[in-house]
Amino acid sequence: MSVIEVQGLTRRYASRRGIRRRTSFEVEAVRGIDFHVEAGELFGLLGPNGAGKTTTIKMLITLLLPSGGSARVLGHDVVADAREVRRRVGYVFGGDRGLYERLSGLDNLRYFSELYGVPPREQRIRIAELLEMVGLSGRERERVEGYSRGMRQRLHIARGLLHRPDVLFLDEPSIGIDPVGARELRTTVAGLSAAGTTVLLTTHYMFEADELCDRIAVIAGGRIVAQGTPAELKRAVVGGNVLEVEAYGVESATIDAIRMLPGVSSADVEVLGHAQLVVVRAAPGAEVTSAVLHEFGSVRVGRVSTREPSLEDAYVELVHRA
Amino acid sequence: MSIRTDLRIAFVGGLTSYRALFNWLTPWVLVPVFIVQPLFQVLFFAFVGRSAGLADSRFYLIGDAVQYASIPCVFAMSNTIADERNSATLPLILVSPARRLPLFLGRSLPVVLNGFVVSVVALVLGGLLLRVSVPVGSVLPLTLAVAVSAVSCTGLGLFVAAVALRVREAATLANIAFGLLLIFCGVNVPLTALPGWMAVIAHWLPLTHGIAAARTLAAGGSGLGAVGRGLWTELGVGAIYLAIGLALLNYFEREARRRATLDVA
Amino acid sequence: MWVGFRLQLKMRSRSAFDGILGVIYPMFFATTIFLLYRQTASPAELVGVSVGSAAMGVWSATSTTAAGVLQHERRDGTLELLVAAPTFFPLVVVPITLSMATIGLYSLVVTLVWGRIAFGIPLDFADPLAFICAALATVVAIGLVGFLQSIVCVRLRHAWAVGSALELPVWLICGFLVPLSLLPHWVRPISWVLPPTWGVYALRAAALGHPAWLDIALCLALAAVYGLLATLGAGRIVDSARARATLALS
Repeated sequence: MSVIEVQGLTRRYASRRGIRRRTSFEVEAVRGIDFHVEAGELFGLLGPNGAGKTTTIKMLITLLLPSGGSARVLGHDVVADAREVRRRVGYVFGGDRGLYERLSGLDNLRYFSELYGVPPREQRIRIAELLEMVGLSGRERERVEGYSRGMRQRLHIARGLLHRPDVLFLDEPSIGIDPVGARELRTTVAGLSAAGTTVLLTTHYMFEADELCDRIAVIAGGRIVAQGTPAELKRAVVGGNVLEVEAYGVESATIDAIRMLPGVSSADVEVLGHAQLVVVRAAPGAEVTSAVLHEFGSVRVGRVSTREPSLEDAYVELVHRA
Repeated sequence: MSIRTDLRIAFVGGLTSYRALFNWLTPWVLVPVFIVQPLFQVLFFAFVGRSAGLADSRFYLIGDAVQYASIPCVFAMSNTIADERNSATLPLILVSPARRLPLFLGRSLPVVLNGFVVSVVALVLGGLLLRVSVPVGSVLPLTLAVAVSAVSCTGLGLFVAAVALRVREAATLANIAFGLLLIFCGVNVPLTALPGWMAVIAHWLPLTHGIAAARTLAAGGSGLGAVGRGLWTELGVGAIYLAIGLALLNYFEREARRRATLDVA
Repeated sequence: MWVGFRLQLKMRSRSAFDGILGVIYPMFFATTIFLLYRQTASPAELVGVSVGSAAMGVWSATSTTAAGVLQHERRDGTLELLVAAPTFFPLVVVPITLSMATIGLYSLVVTLVWGRIAFGIPLDFADPLAFICAALATVVAIGLVGFLQSIVCVRLRHAWAVGSALELPVWLICGFLVPLSLLPHWVRPISWVLPPTWGVYALRAAALGHPAWLDIALCLALAAVYGLLATLGAGRIVDSARARATLALS
């Protein structure tokens, strides 16, 4: 039995438009998705803003009712057995809100221990253990208002783990944290997963997903557009190498011409200060470097490099297609 | 989850969330709002009564001191519930398996105590300044009447809190509740001097029966037996608002899951 | 300065809390006071009551919000911008408090009308011109007292609490309803140095046909003193803030 089983899960929101003539319409945030997560797996839900990641998580943790389809967590239905699900899952979201500012970190943890029915005797040990794990020992008696973003995020994680959940849901946990903090966070999450906790993580940082996740589902426009291990996704989608050309003053006509070349699957331009970076993704096995460079004609060209496709390339490709 | 868990959620959790969400717990607010203001409300109306050539100071002392309990009762209650939304902790509360009845009911306990203490302080200080004395034998029953009033007023507070959670105007609603209680509950104007329809409404508001009982007791000569009925009615009225408030919270939670309201999504 | 006043008035009328509640809240007190006096007072006495409780609204609109106004600016980070602006700092603050007193003026009118409609208290004042002048003088005076209050409270984090605690004492001490003769003797000098005392006195005198112009003048003169004190205070605050960098904070 999978730990998380999702079948045809759908969520619509009623929304209103206009002030004078109010028309109601429905927004379909999640349009019938299927996936499953096995015990101990670290599963990533990847997608751009508004793709339906958070809505999916909120249905799985019983905060939102699905409009259609079904979802089971640890064998419990998220609608019929909401309380059983709540008892056994942990939920952490990114950003620096969702904490009681006027209470100390310790009191925040104590409060949620009560809500999750952690027995008083166990509480002390558990809280100390978690503070140690997220590196907040010694700061726990300070009020949260004085915490940095990174500290808040770590406190959030400790909070989510108080009741030793079997499944942990992390909704964009690394948002707004500095690179060092984000790396520490990844280490923590990897450690949890290694210790046997099933983790479902949403993010839009590719390297994060690439580094952490056993399997990934890419979600765009409310649908899952691809699913598999990071390596599978890269192979399936991109396959060929990526050519990057630094150039000065490329016209859009040139890019269009490159796109038409045989063996080129996509071409995009990023602006880098004075220069432009032309990213050309080749079809598997195709060799396009000389043909592409020929198209540049008299345009001044800087560094040229070829690399293996990254998960980001796969992701861009998938989202473009969807 | 056991009853013990529920009790801990109510008592320990209730106190924690009061500390967490009621942002008045600093001397800079406590002294002006919980001591100076109620005292001056007592003095102001006592002098207004004198200038109108009306009832004695005792009438206003009891009325205004007891009515002022509604400030902590309504404001603290709506803060500790409605502010979950502002601090984005509401989703976290709602995904917890904690039973909602002890969760929300527990938050009223510190509030009741707060309202009670504020009233007692206003009674004592106001009594000293206005030279109103209460027979020694009446002190305990009077205290009980004040406590009962604070309990039932907190029931109204929970109701306001539930509405405020949805409409996001906690302070405005609490102020309006305070104003209505001031006008209707026989605080400064006896029910007999109110237009008939107002007196009818007054019977369905908290504080009305509590203040009446407190006045009877403060006058001396009658014990709890004489006001027992009034105090039970007071509790009953409070319980009605409490029940409606809890039902509303329950309804809003289900609504939130269905329609993504309350910022849970 | 006129622009500042208009914009502030606009901002304040837009916020539901300050706009609607600013008018409704004093009405609760006014209503209970009408009900109270109705038990004994004669129609003529009720006119005085109506005028007094109408003026109460001007003060509560100002006192409860004036204290907090600079805090708001500070929290939003706009106080620094105001200080940095080339305008003389008091010219920035005065419009703020005056705009609040103007909302109070609105509540004054509403209360008088409410007294007329719900309680049949007549509005035919003996000396309408003096009454209007007295009302304007009271609004300006209370606005300037509010100015001083906001300057004094600028460093308090919970200035709103101090502001609302000043509401009732001033109603009592400045004789909005209760004749000063009923208050203990030692209170009287305090009443005399507070401009609202004279404003309210003038309002009632004008309504009842007693001479009011001297009181109006006294009220304005005292108000000018408060304005001057607050201006001096404002200068000091700006200087000390520059020296100690305390404007942004919390």
